[in-house]
Amino acid sequence: MRQNRKTALLFLAPFLTVFVAFYLAPVCYAIYLSLFIRRRVGLGPAKEVFGGLENYIRAVQDTDFLNGLKNMFLFGVLQVPVMLGLAIALALLLDQSRGIFMKVCRTTFFMPYGIPTAIGALIWGYLYSPNLSPFNQILGALHLGSINFLSPGVILISIANIVTWTWTGYNMITLFAALQNIPKELYEAARVDGANRWDIVRSIKIPLLLPTLRLLFIFSVIGTSQLFTEAFVLRPLGYVADNITPNLYLYLTAARDANYSYAGAMAILLALLIFVLSGPFLRRVASS
Amino acid sequence: MALLAGVQFGGPLCSASAQEAFKEPEYSKYQVESGPITLEFWSWVGGLDQVVKQFEQAYPNIKVHVNNVGAGPQEYEKLQTAIKAGSGGPDVVQIEYDFLPSFIVTDGVLDMGKEGASDAKSYFVPWTWGQVSPDAKTVYGIPQDIGPLALLYNKKIFDQYGLTVPTTWDEFAKEAEKLNKASNGKVQMAEFYATTAPWFMGLVWADGGEFFKTSGDTWIQTLNSPEAEKVLSYWADLVKKKYVAALPGFTAEFYNAVGAGQIAASVEAAWGPGVTAASLNNRTSGDWRVAPLPQWSKGQQFRSGNWGGSCDSVTRQSKHPRAATLFSVWLNTAKGPVLNNWINYGIFPASIAGLASPELNQADKNPGKFCGGQNVAEVYAQASKAVNVDFAWSPWFAFVNDNFNKQFQAFLSGNATPKQVLDSWQNECLRNAKDDGYAVKGK
Repeated sequence: MRQNRKTALLFLAPFLTVFVAFYLAPVCYAIYLSLFIRRRVGLGPAKEVFGGLENYIRAVQDTDFLNGLKNMFLFGVLQVPVMLGLAIALALLLDQSRGIFMKVCRTTFFMPYGIPTAIGALIWGYLYSPNLSPFNQILGALHLGSINFLSPGVILISIANIVTWTWTGYNMITLFAALQNIPKELYEAARVDGANRWDIVRSIKIPLLLPTLRLLFIFSVIGTSQLFTEAFVLRPLGYVADNITPNLYLYLTAARDANYSYAGAMAILLALLIFVLSGPFLRRVASS
Repeated sequence: MALLAGVQFGGPLCSASAQEAFKEPEYSKYQVESGPITLEFWSWVGGLDQVVKQFEQAYPNIKVHVNNVGAGPQEYEKLQTAIKAGSGGPDVVQIEYDFLPSFIVTDGVLDMGKEGASDAKSYFVPWTWGQVSPDAKTVYGIPQDIGPLALLYNKKIFDQYGLTVPTTWDEFAKEAEKLNKASNGKVQMAEFYATTAPWFMGLVWADGGEFFKTSGDTWIQTLNSPEAEKVLSYWADLVKKKYVAALPGFTAEFYNAVGAGQIAASVEAAWGPGVTAASLNNRTSGDWRVAPLPQWSKGQQFRSGNWGGSCDSVTRQSKHPRAATLFSVWLNTAKGPVLNNWINYGIFPASIAGLASPELNQADKNPGKFCGGQNVAEVYAQASKAVNVDFAWSPWFAFVNDNFNKQFQAFLSGNATPKQVLDSWQNECLRNAKDDGYAVKGK
């Protein structure tokens, strides 16, 4: 038994080392930092003094931070279902078709996932530039006016579009793989019972996709909480609010305003929130 | 003393006789660390690779590694992170004057006065020394360049529509209206840099406005001063009438509009013509001219403001502060680098000798070439003399800078008047600074 435990530890060591060094240690450091506040006397450099939970109290009252969280929830409620819905539809379509066309489609849909997020955002940034945007040129040619994709009222949708473009293919592939795992006998049995294609989709494919879907949903929600790159890359191209996502806001608090303690407190709060939200889902996934 | 230095400075780089007009400090006074040294230098000035070679030839034991980690805020965010981390920062770093206080207050930059840099004061335009030495004792950077404001205009468009070059803001507005009517709204008179607060602040500076000062141990922030309101109301009106564009600056979008002849003029800092020429890839080269900044009233004492301009600071992380100080001083006082930076990148010198140098005027090279061979430097040198010397910045400027975009956006979407823009700007920045522990008040 003891021997077994040692062997297990040995095998776990590579993972644990990396996990502790690059995950646990920074989290602990962030918690430590978050307990300090800056005191200034006169015009000189600030002194970091212990402030207990002061940064946390500031964060829950900070309208900018709360606005970022609100956008994150909007994203989770609107963008995630749209993206997963699209991914299901595409996966089901691919599952229906065969041959070279299917393979070409599969690769094409998956391709955006292979493009680094920053590069993808840059390309979209160009497509969104009000006067250079080909979309606006088309709208203009049809005398339909133009859209400022980077204006405050539209920017969140523009970012949601980039995220959907990047991740739909990835989700589609995962669902498609899950569909491939469904035993063909089930379809045969259903057909013998007189089920048509739509019946099979509704009563066999979708129910059997649910565990995968649940996992993808939780990954997407976690991904939503980490939204940063798209907003960061679009920033120099126009006006993107500091508080558009919690991560951008806390990055700016740290790197721009040099307030690492406060940024640390917000990061910890954000992590706790995600943990609480995703916990029940993960338990469901684990049990099914 | 000054004359003596002129005769004997023959430092490693200079052949004394040819250099007499260009007064350089005595570099041998700077005792550098021994042994081979590599200085990491963060800067976004183009063509520095060539410039530092001159330095490396003169000081064979020092290598300078130039690293462009991004312009402005992109660099500052990396620098702020490196300062917090305690390592990973450069030895020498380019910082704009308006952002310098935020690195002084995080204890990131060295007091170069301790390494003998105070002596360099007399080599620079007086107001720039106030920017790097706010208390007139410590020295947190060596002035590199300045950005006094002037009007860059497209002469071809002005001729085409029969516009006269405005000397007052009244005339400017009238010409803008004329251009709008004559071109059917296709050509706009100028650009309001809607996402670049320091541009707007430079115009307020030119009107005698101030945003930050200290009184005893307290900061005073006045973003919504009467001068600021006057300047913003004037421009906001032109933007509203669509006589003036309000595009995000330094974007493909903006330069495309300029290159396509949709924008006839722009209030630009001294580095502006060079940067514009480079960004347009010499499209419309030769069509442009520079005129003095329009004034608020005819016959008033000529005034200009400043936009940008930067200094080279030594970080507290540097293991070779003496070599780093020497390099910063050399880079901004020696003839070779000062002239090269102007010709390569349109960096307008903060050095007095540089400003007086006839070699700034080179008709066949940018930015002169871009402006049809005009002596661009002369216009800006005049502007530089008309800049209010007491203007100061605050350590929370990075926040102020970004917050302006938010407030002006509210005006663009019709949700705020210019006065409301300035009031929210003032209030939100004040609140942020207070939250951050600064002793600051509004008046």
